[in-house]
Amino acid sequence: MRLELRGITKRFGSLTANDQISITVEPGQIHSLLGENGAGKSTLMNVLFGLLTPDEGEILINGEPVQITNSGDAVRRGLGMVHQHFMLVPVFTVTENVVLGFEPTKSLNRVDYRKATEDILHLSRQFNLEVDPDAVVERLPIGLQQRVEILKALSHDAELLILDEPTAVLTPQEIDALMEIMRSLAAAGKSILFITHKLKEVKAVADVITIIRQGRVVGTAEPTASESELASMMVGRDVELTVHKEPFSPGGDVFEIRDLVVRDERGLPAVNGVSLSVRAGEILALAGVQGNGQTELVEAIAGMRPVESGSITLNGRDITNHSPRQVLDAGLGHIPEDRQRDGLVMSMSVADNLVLNTPRRAPFARRGTRNLVAVQAHAAQLIKDFDIRTESPQELVSSLSGGNQQKVIVARELSRSLEFLVASQPTRGLDVGSIEYVHRQMVDHRNNGNAALVVSSELDEVLALGDRIAVMYDGKISGVVDPSTSRETIGLLMTGTRVEQSRD
Amino acid sequence: MGNVTIAESTTEQALAVKPEGRTRVIAVIMAIVGLLTLLVFGMGSAATAHSTLNFSPINLSNSAPLHLGSLTLTTRWTVVVLALVMIGLGVEVFLRQPKSFVMGRFGVVAVLFLLALLFWAARTPGPSPVSFINLTDILTGSTEVVMVLIFGSLSGVMCERSGVVNIAIEGQYVAGAFFGSMVVSTTHNFFYAAIVGALVGGLLGLLLAFLALRYLVDQIIVGVVIVTMMSSLSSYLNLQVLTPFPQYNTGNLAPNLAIPLLSKIPILGPVLFNQSGFFYLMIVLVALVSFALFKTRYGLHVRAVGEHPHAAATVGISVSRVRYINVVLGGAIAGIGGVAFMASQGQFQPGYTSGLGYIALAAMIFGRWRPSGAVVASMIFGISVFLSYTLVSYDVPVSLYVLQMFPYIITIIVVAGLIGRVRPPGADGVPYRRD
Repeated sequence: MRLELRGITKRFGSLTANDQISITVEPGQIHSLLGENGAGKSTLMNVLFGLLTPDEGEILINGEPVQITNSGDAVRRGLGMVHQHFMLVPVFTVTENVVLGFEPTKSLNRVDYRKATEDILHLSRQFNLEVDPDAVVERLPIGLQQRVEILKALSHDAELLILDEPTAVLTPQEIDALMEIMRSLAAAGKSILFITHKLKEVKAVADVITIIRQGRVVGTAEPTASESELASMMVGRDVELTVHKEPFSPGGDVFEIRDLVVRDERGLPAVNGVSLSVRAGEILALAGVQGNGQTELVEAIAGMRPVESGSITLNGRDITNHSPRQVLDAGLGHIPEDRQRDGLVMSMSVADNLVLNTPRRAPFARRGTRNLVAVQAHAAQLIKDFDIRTESPQELVSSLSGGNQQKVIVARELSRSLEFLVASQPTRGLDVGSIEYVHRQMVDHRNNGNAALVVSSELDEVLALGDRIAVMYDGKISGVVDPSTSRETIGLLMTGTRVEQSRD
Repeated sequence: MGNVTIAESTTEQALAVKPEGRTRVIAVIMAIVGLLTLLVFGMGSAATAHSTLNFSPINLSNSAPLHLGSLTLTTRWTVVVLALVMIGLGVEVFLRQPKSFVMGRFGVVAVLFLLALLFWAARTPGPSPVSFINLTDILTGSTEVVMVLIFGSLSGVMCERSGVVNIAIEGQYVAGAFFGSMVVSTTHNFFYAAIVGALVGGLLGLLLAFLALRYLVDQIIVGVVIVTMMSSLSSYLNLQVLTPFPQYNTGNLAPNLAIPLLSKIPILGPVLFNQSGFFYLMIVLVALVSFALFKTRYGLHVRAVGEHPHAAATVGISVSRVRYINVVLGGAIAGIGGVAFMASQGQFQPGYTSGLGYIALAAMIFGRWRPSGAVVASMIFGISVFLSYTLVSYDVPVSLYVLQMFPYIITIIVVAGLIGRVRPPGADGVPYRRD
């Protein structure tokens, strides 16, 4: 299919989310749409899928202008979407998910599952997408679930597949497998629109790259372009992709976890016997595909989740099962995974959010009353030091951009003297500029001789920050490796294959 | 970096998956209840005491089954056997920790306990020609309660499978019973009454759906409001209309439709094959809902909407349409249930559903949101309800009010999720917003 977007413009009030965007995807082409969060990629996809009506511009399929008013329309016209958050019913089988909405039926409105299964088997053979049609989706690994999403789109006779940030939840091996699938689909004549902000993947798989920034197409690039060229087009200025670190000179153990067991909401052991230690002047990066117990581990450290057994010690002091307040008072800084839920009170001002962890302490409070002057002065200072873009300290934190919200948290946690910092997915959803900034702050913290644990599911981040890398799989540490270890090896660890290494 | 060799992943478990603590608690409760039954009602009754069972229905109306004599049992040993079964079930659950049907076993123990209590309460000092326990009557009476509960839990299944919590079943019962009685009193036709009951229940379902889907009002609150509104409204109308004009609330019992031959089978005949039309309608509805939900295209859409409405929407299924349809149909089923209840009681009385709608909801959870499960669960709950009411007429040293709490205590245990892990539809009670 040849898809052409001509001059698509979409405004929300005074904000122009898409400004005269024109893109052409040729048949059999993998066209990459590269842009940061908030650059207007999702708006464009919603326009393409009929969820939003563009203010200007038109959509042409195979040269003919078309009106797409709902997602059913889009599907009928041969557009298939593989969503970032899979649109699969977890308790249904693969077959039920694939046929949903397009079921073959026999008499009495019954679904003809036999025919459906045959169709799926046929389709999966045709495109080399093997999956058991009778498997229940929630029991499949994420990579296979994505395959089901792709099958679902193909079963609706999609001629153009849109993959929206498809690699965010995958292991490196699964990413490689996905790239292979994309290439073979393109070879079979399908067009692919690949939306991402990851430079490596774009270079690996794209035929053409279109870069958008602030709702505008800022240029196209060949996959041979260097990563830093692509990054600077995406951000609009030169960015440093690597973080400069002082030579590694660790001190003694600051933080130690021993045989930790933590249960999740369902009462199952999410952290199952984890032991780790972090030394002064060291960043220990904890890698792993999301959902392998990292969240529960960090919550347990921060006092937000009960520890079943094992111990957590900070500077020789046992902080196991201490309350969050006690843990904070012991000198722990915490940058939580979900900043809007656990990191900030969205309905409060920037100034108040900046003293959330020390509201009762002098100088911010005295004999039970708050010292608002001190809070204000503190906020003004941090806003300056940490370059938080806000109109005033009294601005509600909810009106800040994601990057600036994260800066509020980083400023709050790093501005007091810490014994230890735990940061969970510290750059998730941030633009490249903010990522650069947050990384620099954490490395500075380490360069000053402090210890930190950084949990991330982004391999790039883990490799950039970690002095040592621990990999977590299924509630356990599957290996602790040096940052010079190959991506493939870390990828294997992320799938639970235990790696033994001999240190030379 | 050094050589990297891939070794087998170690299986050292820091923590063996802990046995389900709550299951064990329940198992212990089951065994203790069994033990108490054994000691108090079993060994506590005199060795000469006897309980006599009778199998002929008192109501011989149009289809008397083949005659079956009465059965005289030694109270002590009969109760001991029942108690041993209860203890056995408790021990079995404790040791084996079965994955499924823990709830069912618990329900069986509850029913056995009530039966043992009945045997004990109806004992005579020696063998007696007079029998106090009419098993057929107990089963026939229970069946009426069971039937009403099945209508309700079926309604719950319809609504919750599509993702809307219908806590208003009780209100739909009341409305169905009220208008059902009026229609029967004026037309003497139960078919019309069923239709009117379905309409009224469906309208209340529409109100629930409208507030919950259009205005995203909390579904539980809307449900409670509907129940409260209907119970007050029916009391008011009862006072203002039915009391001054009693001809509108003469009501009637629904006539039994005996199925030839089958209804002559002892015990089973009167219980299953000599029932009112509502009973047969209920059976048809169970089969229909089961088929529709799990075999048809419509059912697949309903379940998708109830589990993951966004996924359903992306393939062009209209989430709110499916939900409207199901909540209205579910309301209609509960409305018919209300008429069926009225038809088993004779006429409308304010407040006489006494929370059956909530028990039906518990039966739905107990039955894991499946029509077949709802049937089994309704049987357990229905028999418990009926027995606890029946026991009142015997010499039981327990207050009638305490006895009548029994089914609700089981309900709390079930709804609180103390037994087994039940998994509701993924989007149950969660409003859907198109983004």
